[in-house]
Amino acid sequence: MSRVQVDRERCVGSGVCESLAPEVFEIDDDGVLQVHREEPAADELDGVQDAVQSCPARALALAE
Amino acid sequence: MSVNTPVDPAQFDIEAIDLSDRDFWAEPPAVRHAVFDKLRAERPFAFFDEPTMEGMEPGPGYWAVTRLADLDAISSQPAVFCSGQGAVSIQDIPADLSEFYGSMISMDDPRHARIRRIVAKTFTPRMLEQVIDSVVGIVDDVLAEARAKAEAGDGSLDVVADIAAPIPLRIICDMMGVPEQDRLLVLNASNTILSGGDPELTDEADPLTALLEAGMAMAELMGRLAAERIENPTDDLTTALVNSEVEGEKLTHQEIASFFILLLVAGNETTRTAIAQGLLALSENPEQRAAWMADPSMDKSAVEEIVRYVSPVTWMRRTATQDGEVNGHSFKEGDKFLLFYNAANRDPEAFENPHALDLGRSPNNHVGFGGHGPHFCLGAHLARRELAVTFRRLFEICPDLEITGEPARLRSSFVNGLKRLPARLTGQR
Repeated sequence: MSRVQVDRERCVGSGVCESLAPEVFEIDDDGVLQVHREEPAADELDGVQDAVQSCPARALALAE
Repeated sequence: MSVNTPVDPAQFDIEAIDLSDRDFWAEPPAVRHAVFDKLRAERPFAFFDEPTMEGMEPGPGYWAVTRLADLDAISSQPAVFCSGQGAVSIQDIPADLSEFYGSMISMDDPRHARIRRIVAKTFTPRMLEQVIDSVVGIVDDVLAEARAKAEAGDGSLDVVADIAAPIPLRIICDMMGVPEQDRLLVLNASNTILSGGDPELTDEADPLTALLEAGMAMAELMGRLAAERIENPTDDLTTALVNSEVEGEKLTHQEIASFFILLLVAGNETTRTAIAQGLLALSENPEQRAAWMADPSMDKSAVEEIVRYVSPVTWMRRTATQDGEVNGHSFKEGDKFLLFYNAANRDPEAFENPHALDLGRSPNNHVGFGGHGPHFCLGAHLARRELAVTFRRLFEICPDLEITGEPARLRSSFVNGLKRLPARLTGQR
């Protein structure tokens, strides 16, 4: 099972992940990233992988 | 010779290239691109003396970074290459002044991230979904006004003044809650702040005073709006700024003012440049324009390509916090690096046929919104939306728009702007 990891020191809330996998990622009112499902469903994995690669702050990772 | 006739980089003497020479930035785009091609290929970390500035001691100089891989390596190591010593000026200007005009652009984490989070939510795709209708409304209004104005006269219009400037100005002023009667002030002050010393937009003899006065005018406007929002909060960004707390403390008046200036200036100049230069690029590539016009599914890739091709912001600065090495280049603590996005976005190692406009380009990992790192453009999602709506509506409302003459280019190293772009509506749909 793949698990989403967020480096909170690096995240600046750019919302790029939210645009690619909105069902998994959301920037909240305080500009902080909320991960709705730390273990994304199989059909969400493509979007999450895209988000990990596209994160401008390189704050995301997917651990096995 | 057309300004777009390719220029052979071999004709330049690398020792004679000087990116600090203001006249270089008045050269036609093809000449500038050829010079950057030469630097990128032969001297990817080229050292230049700093441009002279009245009343200031010349600094130690800077490395010009022109390869995408180098730019991204620097951008993605913010602890080694910091922004806090100034990201938007080559010279070291006093820290308070640098922060005033750069706000969080010229800050490092953790403070940068704390300030950025105040507005982060507003610029997320989810929130922008809610303002898309108003973006479409503004674009349609501006285009209808431009059309009416052209048709009332001889059909001619200025792409910059009539289309490219008012669209982002109205959108960002709506988001910030700047009333109608103050928007001309915002436009003028924003032009002065990003004039880059262009003599038409600022007092050439005393650009620093003109810059300070423009900043003061914006700070005064912010003071007025802030007082109103404390009394009567709304859901605009200005209200968010005056009510926000960072580390348990409210932002100071000056912090709010500089944040306000950043959002307004950045929200205006960049998108304006992408629209105006994008329309120019489309008129120079009619087959590309026709393909995009006929196929709305190209909106996404076309917008990315316009941002790559135009590179509205030419550079940002970083400063080394320690001695080290990046991609084989040694540097010392205090060394300055200018990240040339325009050059990285035409790097043949990263883009096939980099000088061609290819609206279907894929992949297109450009750095038009900045490289990897914490300073990635806050307004990127908004800009993409504004651009997609603007071009699509333009194709529908003004399909007969025709560029009729040479643009007046901003003589600035920092923004790839146009001051005027003559056009007409032919009436033939």
